[in-house]
Amino acid sequence: MDLPRQFESGTVSRKVVEEFERCQFVLGPPVSAFEARFARLCGTQYAIGVNSGTDAMFLSLRALGIGAGDEVITAPNSFVATAGAIVSAGATVVFADVTADYTIDPRQVETAVTSRTRAIVPVHLTGTPAEMEAIGAIAARHGLAVVEDAAQAVGANVLGRPVGSLGATGCFSLFPLKNLGVAGDGGMVTTDAADLDGTIRLLRNHGLRSRDECAVFGYNSRLDTIQAIVGDALLDSIEKVTATRLATAAFYDGALADLAPDVEVPPRRPGIKHVFHTYVVQVARRTDLIAYLSERGIETKVHYPTPIHLQPAAESLGYKRGAFPVAEQQAERIISLPVHEYLSTDDRAYVADTLHEFYRG
Amino acid sequence: MRVPYSYLKDQFADSEAILRDIKELLETSAFTLGPAVEEFERGFAKLCASRYAVGVGSGTDALFLALKAIGVGPGDEVITAPNSFIATTGAIVAAGARPVFVDVGEDFAIDPDWIEPAISPRTKALLPVHYSGCPAPMTRILPIAERHHLPIVEDACQAIDAAIDGQVTGSFGIAAGFSLHPLKNLNVWGDGGVIVTSDDDVCERLRLLRNHGLRSRDEVEIFGYNSRLDTLQAIVARHVLREAAGITDARIRNAALLDAGLGGLPGCITLPPRPANVRQVYHNYMVQARDRDRLLAYLLDHGIEAKVHYPIPIHLQKPARRLGYKPGDFPVCERQAAAILTLPVHQHLREDQLLFMIDTVQAFYSR
Repeated sequence: MDLPRQFESGTVSRKVVEEFERCQFVLGPPVSAFEARFARLCGTQYAIGVNSGTDAMFLSLRALGIGAGDEVITAPNSFVATAGAIVSAGATVVFADVTADYTIDPRQVETAVTSRTRAIVPVHLTGTPAEMEAIGAIAARHGLAVVEDAAQAVGANVLGRPVGSLGATGCFSLFPLKNLGVAGDGGMVTTDAADLDGTIRLLRNHGLRSRDECAVFGYNSRLDTIQAIVGDALLDSIEKVTATRLATAAFYDGALADLAPDVEVPPRRPGIKHVFHTYVVQVARRTDLIAYLSERGIETKVHYPTPIHLQPAAESLGYKRGAFPVAEQQAERIISLPVHEYLSTDDRAYVADTLHEFYRG
Repeated sequence: MRVPYSYLKDQFADSEAILRDIKELLETSAFTLGPAVEEFERGFAKLCASRYAVGVGSGTDALFLALKAIGVGPGDEVITAPNSFIATTGAIVAAGARPVFVDVGEDFAIDPDWIEPAISPRTKALLPVHYSGCPAPMTRILPIAERHHLPIVEDACQAIDAAIDGQVTGSFGIAAGFSLHPLKNLNVWGDGGVIVTSDDDVCERLRLLRNHGLRSRDEVEIFGYNSRLDTLQAIVARHVLREAAGITDARIRNAALLDAGLGGLPGCITLPPRPANVRQVYHNYMVQARDRDRLLAYLLDHGIEAKVHYPIPIHLQKPARRLGYKPGDFPVCERQAAAILTLPVHQHLREDQLLFMIDTVQAFYSR
């Protein structure tokens, strides 16, 4: 039911074929063209195409000079890559609990700040912007950098200001199935800081200032020309994609309201624009519900059943069950309903009806 | 007459078969670690006489992840060559280890005589580079590694299908990193890399490391990275893999022709050694030239896209200063850096272009 079909039109295939006149498969002109358009979308001066959303965060932290001995605060309910990027940079992950809308709780962030904290990585999870005003205030008070994990939130905004423009850098994922997803791995860093732009451009390309001259030891993390072509073609429809998802979310909000408290629809904070990368509800009897829906052809997912702090990988961080009660409770009850832009009105009505069948008989 | 360095438009002039497969991919959306990746990995492992191949984001990542998979990290030293592309050293630094350089031989590879003096209690691995497609002298390096219980990670990024006594590069060390960058012998349409190994544990670790450390969708076993060969690129790689033998043979033939024409200029052009038991694959055709800079300018003026890989060795680059190296530390490498020159040798060159290059070089020296 949720098979993405954005490539069926053939436009993208055609543009890829056109690149064969040049064959500049690495950092060809389409990359800077796409970067410029992406920066405009996010209201920033600069955008740098990299290999993935994960790398976008990793390179941001490296460019900010954050590494061994430093602490970085983030949310435990994100996709593991958020924490993975911090670990890759050599820094220590410090978690802070989340609020009812799945974004990091500014009050918990404040509590988690220590003398070693260097940055906050708020996650705009599900496409819901975190409380950026409060987070920004905490960061200013303690001299911390803010690196936005906007991997799931392209097109979202806070009081009209796009995510990606609200921190030192914004980190976006172009992974397939994102609201703007290319045909393989891809990511983008947005920033208004010329020095960060310059540093990240070096870091993504082996630290090379020119072909023969290396300024710093760097990495290989470049958005493929082909993926930039795909991304650029899809930028044209991002507003429509967002509008469609918002409409589906509004439909679900209304159609599922009477199933409370068995089904709790996502909270809506005023003053922000959500983009519903996922439509996450909290439900009773989740395991049975998943099976019931699956048997009736409705594919759901759980993003994510085990919070990062309780994963084997995080053992050495020393967090125990009970450390983040809100995230832990949510992890037992959350489920993502289909919300992609190819869902028909019949499809989403079917989802709502089937949920009613399950809970009301 | 022009002799271009890049040839991708020629190589991919007829890409209908590849594009058909990609169009199919665009419709099935199996963009991440789809079936084509596994198919390519199987074929590549076979080419490298190894049990496993793991497709990753780039040759750089291939080296980096291989080092991580064998436990290299902060406090460790890795011995390698100072004349490689910067990424070899970048991968060691990215792993948190300290690069330790040793001088090279006339084959542009690590000189085995210099390895043992460079070994310290902190040495964790050897990273020999099969530079320009010429295998490093593994028969002499292996016993040294064994004696000191040091694993070898091969930088085979420029050396797909190369061999010593019929044994292919990639099959000598515990793991080997290869690059699928567009200008490599086996190339894709963007960044790509692949690691080969025959070690079960290393393979398993690599599969975790390249994919966020995920044991399954919901279980994070270790913190990892995002470094996967795109399904789209694996489709390209699968097609090009079929041509691998032909590409290698063509480059070997072209190199032989260049050798014949340039070999008769003693004191002007010095060819690297060509031992009969070594299959070099000519990712780059590199010679040493007297008056290199003027020759380079002359060639460029005459439409021949010659290059230098690379004029400034890694130990003399800015970020290596903190490692304490200075001019004079690696005299062979430094001497070569002032003399090396790369001529196009790719499989799409015509004989008249090869002869033109020979004539032009000869003309330069007889002025």
